[in-house]
Amino acid sequence: MLRRTLAACLMAAATSLPAFAQAPAAPATGAPPDTTMNRNLAPHAPKMTVTQPDQLPASALRVPEGFRLDVFAHGIPGARMMTEGPNGTIFAGSRTIGRVYAITRNADGTTRTRVVAQGLTQPNGVAMVGNNLYVIAINRVLRFDNIEQNLDNPPQPVDMTEAFGLPPEQHHGWKFLTLGPDGRLYMNVGVPCNICEFDRDRYALLASFRPDGSDRRIEARGIRNSVGMAHHPVTRELWATNNGRDWAGNDEPQDSLHRIRRSGEDHGFPFCVGGWTDPEHNAGRNCSEFQQPAALLGPHVASLGMRFYTGAMFPEQYRNQVFIARRGSWNREPLSGYDVVVAKLDAQGNVTGVEPFLTGFRDDAGQRFLGRPVDVHVMRDGALLVSDEQNGAIYRVTHGR
Amino acid sequence: MRLALLAAALCAAALPTAAQDVARGRSLAAQACASCHGEDGRSHTPGVPTLAGQPAEFVTMQLILFREALRPVPAMQDVARGLGDADIEALAAVFAAQPSGPPEDRAARDAARFERGKALSARMNCGVCHLPDYAGRNQIPRLAGQREEYLAQALADFRDNRRAGSDTQMNGVMYGVTDSDIAALAHYLSHVE
Repeated sequence: MLRRTLAACLMAAATSLPAFAQAPAAPATGAPPDTTMNRNLAPHAPKMTVTQPDQLPASALRVPEGFRLDVFAHGIPGARMMTEGPNGTIFAGSRTIGRVYAITRNADGTTRTRVVAQGLTQPNGVAMVGNNLYVIAINRVLRFDNIEQNLDNPPQPVDMTEAFGLPPEQHHGWKFLTLGPDGRLYMNVGVPCNICEFDRDRYALLASFRPDGSDRRIEARGIRNSVGMAHHPVTRELWATNNGRDWAGNDEPQDSLHRIRRSGEDHGFPFCVGGWTDPEHNAGRNCSEFQQPAALLGPHVASLGMRFYTGAMFPEQYRNQVFIARRGSWNREPLSGYDVVVAKLDAQGNVTGVEPFLTGFRDDAGQRFLGRPVDVHVMRDGALLVSDEQNGAIYRVTHGR
Repeated sequence: MRLALLAAALCAAALPTAAQDVARGRSLAAQACASCHGEDGRSHTPGVPTLAGQPAEFVTMQLILFREALRPVPAMQDVARGLGDADIEALAAVFAAQPSGPPEDRAARDAARFERGKALSARMNCGVCHLPDYAGRNQIPRLAGQREEYLAQALADFRDNRRAGSDTQMNGVMYGVTDSDIAALAHYLSHVE
């Protein structure tokens, strides 16, 4: 009886989850599309205290033969998205802890970490434009000029917030930020709810701006929340990961990888994900109206940071392939994701498969996780960095020579 | 239910706390926290929450938000400013181990408001994350028996974007909720046993 009451109470969760930008939250209406899910699922707790190096899961992590994984930096709670300065400084943004870190290498190969900004609201978006570091913290846009020359005494940032005019909503308001080959800044504007009615010219899109905040252009519509983007090194097309909605089933919908062939095309949210029609928000739309994903990345895996491999260190078969960090699921049983995968592309840019690359964060037998990979970054020497938000660490993957 | 608890326990990152950490946590709590939050972690100070029985990860997270000036409560920022991560984890372990319970000065239950708050909580799915007995888990706080005026203030702060948790869920949940509904929720949750 208790169980049935509980189930009934919980069943309403799907439709009543945040409707941030909407009129006052509607009472839960009707049953969610999938009534078999465990309605007691909740986001996993982030860890914002320092994890000691002997507590890191490095020895449990696995990479393909010929590769090697080392701890690059640790003691950086909540480290997420990474970008690299012209002098090789790695900058890492965060969400809950509100900091931006700068990580430099000492002569002996160890690293030194400084906090260059703090007290910010989810400063997840970091990108270098020349010598200047851009940070987007909901919904402020801050520019730290000549940052690498001033790591010990970071300058007061130039506040560009007004010029960019980003929406203020916190939910899905954190940004991924990257500089395009055309000199424009590319970012996501996520939907401010799980799934709801919203302005499709304002939310659930990818947008680009000139670095001064002018000339906003919608690059893609109907992408629920992308926290990973990169431009193809040859075609210069924009590619992006996307996070699917919650509470529609353990196995649906899938997270997705998108190839943006032309600016402004519609990728289907909230109506469709690929050929999958949303059980509540399809509105009678035919999914073939929309651009199809380049690949499906698995249900609830939280596919986040992605980069094309442009280095010379890894074997030739990895050149221009897409490394994708999957932070790992909460709205699913059993756990999925918690790894780094490679999307393999053929000469025409079609994805021919998605293969595991870095595994061992997920303990299937125990249904627990040892870490949460959030972003990948290709260093100039060709090594691949992987940030682990849960443990406040960055790993470095190299290939033996 | 048991499965859910088991899952929650499995999700929790293990926070090893040695005996000397416990002693240090107790000493810190007595010096820095007890005068407002109560010797036994049950607050008798209006506007100050009870910490006894709060999940350790919740207390840890909030102390970090205070220290980083991300949760703007001046009295707590002064306390948290000098705390290292190990101090914070030690304090959290102390409060998590204290038995929870309502404050001595709790007002009498108003049957009508209690029932209204109960219905609202069911409709708003508070028990999904906070668990059906509102004991909380991991980063999600215990609500059962918390001080009523503190709960009302916290809910209004989430609604009005003066506060966020470790994520933005509560801001979304509280969007557009009226003062009167907040009062009923706070009354119900403070009287749930």
